[in-house]
Amino acid sequence: MAALKSTSDSDPAVLVARRYARGATAAAVVIAGFWHVGFDLPATAGNWTVYTRQWAAATGWVLYLAIGVAGAFLLRREQPSRWAWPLAVAALGVDVLLVAAAPDEGLLRPANWAWGAVGWLAVILFWRHRLAHLVAFLVANTVLLGAAMALVGAVGRFELSRAMMVLLGAATLQLGYSLSAHGLGTAAGWAARSSAARARVTAERAAAEAVAAARAQRYRALHRSTAALLADLAAGADPADPEVRHRCATGAAQLRRLLAETDDVPDPLLHELRAGADIAERRGVLVSLSAVGEIPDLPVDTRRALTEAPIVALSQARTMARVTVVALADEVTVAVVADAPDVDVRAHPDIRLTRTREGDRLWLQAEWTGR
Amino acid sequence: MAAGGVDRPVTVGIIEDHPVVVDGVTAWIARDPESRAVVIGSGGSIEEVLAGPAAEADVLLLDLRLGEEVVTDRVAELCTAGRRVVVYSAHDDPETILTVLEAGASAFLSKHETSDHCVDTLVAVATDRPYVTPSVAGALLSDVELSDERAPHLSGRERTALLLWFQSMSKASVAKRMNLSEATVRQYIDRARVKYAKLGRPAPTKTALLARAIEDGLIRADEIHEYRSHAAE
Repeated sequence: MAALKSTSDSDPAVLVARRYARGATAAAVVIAGFWHVGFDLPATAGNWTVYTRQWAAATGWVLYLAIGVAGAFLLRREQPSRWAWPLAVAALGVDVLLVAAAPDEGLLRPANWAWGAVGWLAVILFWRHRLAHLVAFLVANTVLLGAAMALVGAVGRFELSRAMMVLLGAATLQLGYSLSAHGLGTAAGWAARSSAARARVTAERAAAEAVAAARAQRYRALHRSTAALLADLAAGADPADPEVRHRCATGAAQLRRLLAETDDVPDPLLHELRAGADIAERRGVLVSLSAVGEIPDLPVDTRRALTEAPIVALSQARTMARVTVVALADEVTVAVVADAPDVDVRAHPDIRLTRTREGDRLWLQAEWTGR
Repeated sequence: MAAGGVDRPVTVGIIEDHPVVVDGVTAWIARDPESRAVVIGSGGSIEEVLAGPAAEADVLLLDLRLGEEVVTDRVAELCTAGRRVVVYSAHDDPETILTVLEAGASAFLSKHETSDHCVDTLVAVATDRPYVTPSVAGALLSDVELSDERAPHLSGRERTALLLWFQSMSKASVAKRMNLSEATVRQYIDRARVKYAKLGRPAPTKTALLARAIEDGLIRADEIHEYRSHAAE
């Protein structure tokens, strides 16, 4: 249903969370980009003579860039992508290329910038995944470094503490950023939801108070007219008099409707029809109003167009009117049967109006279809 | 309890605590030009009426609110005992209507429709035939909308007929609007009502309604079988 969809899209929690997520996501890409250009590039250039296989270092740098661009592209979709892990494996390939470029003493020096940097790629790639994926990647990166160290025989105390510094330094930042960005997003959603709920409660209370006040006012008015009628009857008004009988019937109909009404959240469409029915009743018309189904939220002008013709018919009813509202899944029908002359109302593109006459009775039906 | 036929008027017992309403309903029934029904007893409580001559009435007309008491939960007891009950009440919300129909009530009259439909309802009910007042049409529609799993499937035509009848011009107008004969419209509406006879616990009144519907060719026996198996959870 169009109306329902628009409310969920404009749900403040969704809006805030979405806006917040967009900012944090962009920041993740920017961090990886700055890291790659501001740290990896100078490290590669500065150590160009250290590399034994310079092509491997250059390829590693370009591959990193390519994975970063691909990762940023994946972020445009809001679901986890099945390309995340293949790209993550390619990111581990950057590790391997850099090991190949500087296999010996460069392994734990700035010349091999990959150990600390690939984590930022993983932050982007696994942005839409659970945290466990990022952790798994960082573990794989660690294992790879361990294997490389074992391979080149760099297993002294100095090397181990250096490796821990490199890995922990980077991984803490990467995990920390990913965690806090997602956590703050959730918190922002909570805050937005709770303030929306507060606003809704306030609105409902105000509406309920308005309805209660209107009812009380109607009750007082009805009380006055009923009291007058009872006084007349007590004073000897003749119940056989059609005028007296009509006043009794009208009073009874008004009372019945007042009793049948509930203090639930008022429906604007029914509210407008009731207002029309009240005016007709004050003129002495017997009105019955029945509604079936839950009326969906309708745009104001659609609602006006739905109720306009029925209210005009109500206003012209001479002695009786029956108003019905039927709300089915994607259609709302308002109908009036009344002893009224033909009504003339402007057409509305969304509303189908049907008129039938049977003797002095007019049958008017306004129909809205949400398809 | 013999069903009232063409040869004698339908006997009616009125259970209503306001004497003035009893007088009004009795007057409506007496005003019927063909004198198809006659009130044989009335009283302010179920016990009082069943102790009097109306214990043998073809149909009981029951107001749901007797004094301070709302007797909705006693409808089942009356219907299980084989009595045909027509409920009439100012409480014509779909929930109340469906509750009393499920309990076995043969028909429901909203107080605002009593004068137009009272005698027709009594005569139909006395012969175990369905009679759908506009308020009941609305309730049946609302039930389909709630998409209760047990709610019977209504065809598009049946739904349209119920919708237009709920708006309540006349069956002739509904027929004109739907481009059908009046008899066909009545058939759609009655079929929709009969489909509801399977809901809730069984009652002799429901069985009689179904049996008469088959006899009249309104539905086929195998259709009823399908409803029953559908309801047997």
